[in-house]
Amino acid sequence: MQRILVMIRYLLHSLFTSLAGLLYVLVAVVFWLLFFDPRQGTPEAEYYVLVIGAFGVAVSFLLTLSIASRANRAVNYPLLVRLPSRVEYLTAVFVSALIAAVLLQLLVAALALFRGPALMPGQALELPPIWLAPNILAAALALHASDFVAAGWSRVYVFGVLALFLFGQGIDNTFLSGFVASLNRFFLEQGWFEVSNALSDFSNGMSNSDTNVLSRILGFIFWPFRAIVEASVNGYFTPTQALAPAILLLYATILFMLAADLFANKDIEFTE
Amino acid sequence: MVEITNVTKRFYSLTAINNVSLQIPRGGVVGLLGPNGAGKTTLLKLIAGLLNPDSGRIRPTTRYWPAIGYKPERLLFPNQLRVSQYLEIVAGLSDVTRIDAEKAVFEALARVSLLEAAGKKIKDCSKGMRQRLGLAQVLIGDPPLLLLDEPANGLDPEGQADIHRCIQELHAGGKTILMSSHQLPEVTEVCTHLVILNEGQVYYQNSMVDALTVRPHTIVHTDQDLAPLRERLQALHPDIQVEANTVILRNEAMALRREVLTAVLQAGLDVIHVAQRNVTLAEIYAEAVQ
Repeated sequence: MQRILVMIRYLLHSLFTSLAGLLYVLVAVVFWLLFFDPRQGTPEAEYYVLVIGAFGVAVSFLLTLSIASRANRAVNYPLLVRLPSRVEYLTAVFVSALIAAVLLQLLVAALALFRGPALMPGQALELPPIWLAPNILAAALALHASDFVAAGWSRVYVFGVLALFLFGQGIDNTFLSGFVASLNRFFLEQGWFEVSNALSDFSNGMSNSDTNVLSRILGFIFWPFRAIVEASVNGYFTPTQALAPAILLLYATILFMLAADLFANKDIEFTE
Repeated sequence: MVEITNVTKRFYSLTAINNVSLQIPRGGVVGLLGPNGAGKTTLLKLIAGLLNPDSGRIRPTTRYWPAIGYKPERLLFPNQLRVSQYLEIVAGLSDVTRIDAEKAVFEALARVSLLEAAGKKIKDCSKGMRQRLGLAQVLIGDPPLLLLDEPANGLDPEGQADIHRCIQELHAGGKTILMSSHQLPEVTEVCTHLVILNEGQVYYQNSMVDALTVRPHTIVHTDQDLAPLRERLQALHPDIQVEANTVILRNEAMALRREVLTAVLQAGLDVIHVAQRNVTLAEIYAEAVQ
């Protein structure tokens, strides 16, 4: 734990004593001026929760990239070899980025309260799960976008799968049944009649069904995002929606574990 | 302390380390010598755990992997920090408690004669100071295994002597050190073992005592060209070298001196001169890098 804390302090010091760190602070202030103009005031609590939440997600992603890029420098070779596990180093990068993002988010949040909305105690208590879970997920995803963690084609796989999920949400049964029908024709030409018959039945079944199977499955993956936005707009979580932050944390855990595995097994070639 | 067995490391089509086997003895100072691109830095990075071997294994001869102090070849440091701040971070990562960190930093700086620069920003340090700082950070936390990539590179003779003295003191203190170098005198001065690498392969490895032991060669000069006898002479031993009217017998071939002389005389040639000379480490190195 001491080693991770030392690394976190070092990484945050390195960021905030650099021009990049000052730029982030400047961006936070500009964001506040643009979205929470102190001359007009912001009476709606929902706007406050959503806009600062979105800022947190964006800044978590960017800060993770920035800190990972700093951790990926050759100056850190002697530090890395001191750690018994590379995962400690990765954890330090991840937590540093989150701390920096939350600090900036709190800065904007504090500034926005000036002539901003009056938050009820209940709304204030809902802020941590609404803001933190997406931040953590954004930081875990950003690790995969960085040279620090990416190894070989890993970046293409992670973001390719994500793109497929996003694309798959809009796919209806006509597209899918057409695709299965093409497969069916291919197997028919190869003389694989049993496979072809099974695909033909599946394709017909889908054409006659009113339910978009793929879209519903993939829609479930992105449900927590919609649930959090709905809860933020409504000002309260339903019992089902209350699961959304936990599911986002589950996604973040999977992404972090994948990043840890990649980083622990890759050849470390820091930039000079 | 560390055993390297049949390790190979490739970077795309380049084989940086090719089936290398080495033992780094506990308490020894092993000098890795070789030209640029020989694979010295790659081997150090493999031992430091920064790179993974494609085949073979690197493992400690004891039960636990030793804590490692690593000084990379390039003198890169976080320039915004002060010398003591940087070393305190290294101490924190080496499980040195906060209370002991200050003492550990002081001792490391004193050992490399850098105490006067403790409060200086790293960006303001000279090359010599940075080289010393590289060595100081290695000492923090008292790791038993030190990996030093060209520790005295770019220093003036006085600075080099200081670094050599420091390495000798560390050796006397029982540290196991693996250091790379381009400089034969440096390696012969401070190392107990020598490994010559070239093109990713171990060309020569020996203890420094054995490596520096004089190894005589016999040189036989004749009155005529030895081309007609070349095949016959070389068939006697692979270490026999025939050049124009000279035969060179190296190392193991020394015992064949009588047979070589007999063959030359039987062929009707006159032996003009027979001489013995000693082979130096520099010649072994030159042969390795040719």
